[in-house]
Amino acid sequence: MTQTVPGRHRAAAIARKVAGHVVRGLVMIWAVATVSFVIIREIPGNPVLGQYESLIQKGMSPEQAERATAVLYGFLPTGSLWQQYVGYLGSLLHFDLGRSLSTPGVEVTTLIGHAARWTVLPVLAGTLLSFLLGVTMGVYAAIKRSGRLGDALALSGSLLHGVPIYVIGLLLTAIFATLWPIMPSGGPVDVEFVPGLNPGYLGSLVHHAVLPVVTYTLASYGGWILAMKSNVVAVLGDDFILAAELRGLRRGIVFRYLARNAILPLFTILALSIGMLFGGSIFIEQIFNYPGLGLLLVNSISSRDYALMGGTFLVITVGIVVANIVADLLYTVIDPRVRSGGAA
Amino acid sequence: MTVIVNPAGPPAAASPETTRATLRRNFWRGVWRVLRRKPSRMAGVVIVALFALMGVAGPLLYPAQLPRDDNALYAPPSLAHPFGTDFEGTDVLALVITGARYVLLTGLATAVITVALGTVIGLIAGFHRGRWDTVLMRLTDMNLAIPGLPLLLVLSTVWKFESPLEMGLVLGVLGWGGIARAVRSQTLSLRERGFIEAARGLGLPTRHIVGRELLPSMAPYIAMNMLIAVTGAVYAQVGLFFLGVLPFESNNWGVMLNLAVFNGGALTTPAALPYLMAPLIAILLLTLGIVLIVDAMDEIFNPRLREE
Repeated sequence: MTQTVPGRHRAAAIARKVAGHVVRGLVMIWAVATVSFVIIREIPGNPVLGQYESLIQKGMSPEQAERATAVLYGFLPTGSLWQQYVGYLGSLLHFDLGRSLSTPGVEVTTLIGHAARWTVLPVLAGTLLSFLLGVTMGVYAAIKRSGRLGDALALSGSLLHGVPIYVIGLLLTAIFATLWPIMPSGGPVDVEFVPGLNPGYLGSLVHHAVLPVVTYTLASYGGWILAMKSNVVAVLGDDFILAAELRGLRRGIVFRYLARNAILPLFTILALSIGMLFGGSIFIEQIFNYPGLGLLLVNSISSRDYALMGGTFLVITVGIVVANIVADLLYTVIDPRVRSGGAA
Repeated sequence: MTVIVNPAGPPAAASPETTRATLRRNFWRGVWRVLRRKPSRMAGVVIVALFALMGVAGPLLYPAQLPRDDNALYAPPSLAHPFGTDFEGTDVLALVITGARYVLLTGLATAVITVALGTVIGLIAGFHRGRWDTVLMRLTDMNLAIPGLPLLLVLSTVWKFESPLEMGLVLGVLGWGGIARAVRSQTLSLRERGFIEAARGLGLPTRHIVGRELLPSMAPYIAMNMLIAVTGAVYAQVGLFFLGVLPFESNNWGVMLNLAVFNGGALTTPAALPYLMAPLIAILLLTLGIVLIVDAMDEIFNPRLREE
């Protein structure tokens, strides 16, 4: 089917699909930016206007106060709602999210940039590990589905899929940091090491990352194992597997047929999984005192740093939306069935 | 339902009323059979029933103001206090039991709203197709893509979620996307089937087709999603209290987690550990019970999954 479609035609179809995704993503981001603008403005006491008025009381001229507040929040406190909104969107286009109030003068984007790596790396590590674990166990659960082992595996998947991520994290910490203290209970790294590429520092980093990464892994493992199991069960019933077995192909080759066809649909889980882990990072970073985006968001709320709050919320959401689009696109590129469907 | 295979079969000339009654009886017999075959499923039903009882009767078992004991702060587990006591000497088990109502009420409210919104939107989109479908599905995509938890955190600055019902309302409004998608695709596939076409050919009103023909065939699926929505609601609201972004109006599991971790230091010293473990075990058990029931329902309504 795909062979009959000329290459250029296919490229155009993919390009159209990419464009569609990008446009939809931009609309999403715009919607989230609007939500975040409305919320910051609707916070009781309107912090933006409050800041402006307190600056005027301190003796600033209205123009000065307006400029200072605009620097803090990324938009002007005065003027019509529409002008404020346009100003806000304008500063977003310049990646200007305002300045933090709790760490005075530091740009929100700088803080977010520092925090992002503490979120993104563990989340990616957790996604990768849970994928490997879930897919392997999913195949087992499918092949042994009438036995006790298969039952137990599938149940472990459903249970871990339903249990909140913070329950997993708290249980692991209670066991491995409080009862049997072989793991550090919090923080990203031991303070005694000099940051840099030395073995002590790196070892401490890894040691501190073990529990958070294991928590992420367990939290998204359930989705992978359940999806993989049902895909393998579906593919097992297909004629081409029967044909391959009848032709006497080696089990390894049959398994490769099976795996290739069962793994492809999992790319839809990738998007879900990344979104879930990003959301869950808020809890994990709080539990393990990990200075990532989630901790930044919670701290900004408790310190009433609304500019930082809006910016972090926006960046987390955009991260999830972009991850979803990338997962969708990967799926399109990898799965020939979707690809030819788009070209038709 | 297609599940019921009654070897005797209802008498061919039975009136519609008796057929319906027989079907229903056979259905419940089938449910019972599936439940009995694996004790784990019975366990699921028992666990969820226990939690329901806890939510209804829990606060009645104890005085409104739980007794405090200043001589036994963070007491270790004992016969009198199976999970020890908290920072002011209150029995932890009593806290878990009385705290269940808030958690379960939110779960129930969320589940009802999620399912109602999701079903209605999915049905309209799938049944009418065309422009309605496009608009509603764009909304659904949006609902699915906006991550609920960060939004809830930010919303907590403007909204205090004072009652469990209010919390359930917000969680429900944020979470209907998945069900709407699934109901739509089910509707799209069902509306092409013979029995729906026949109903339309007979000139039956839309109300009848949707209410009597479409919904019953989707009911099991919707019921399963309702249960899953409860776990989602527990996740979100206990989490919000755990993070400490909501004011502690009343006792519930999330408040316990927060106090155990951030005041009791349960993650560094073992003293407050039982105080932390009690709500954790409650959440684990509740999830386990729901998962076991959903698992059993899956098998009741999906005969293909059964493998004798």
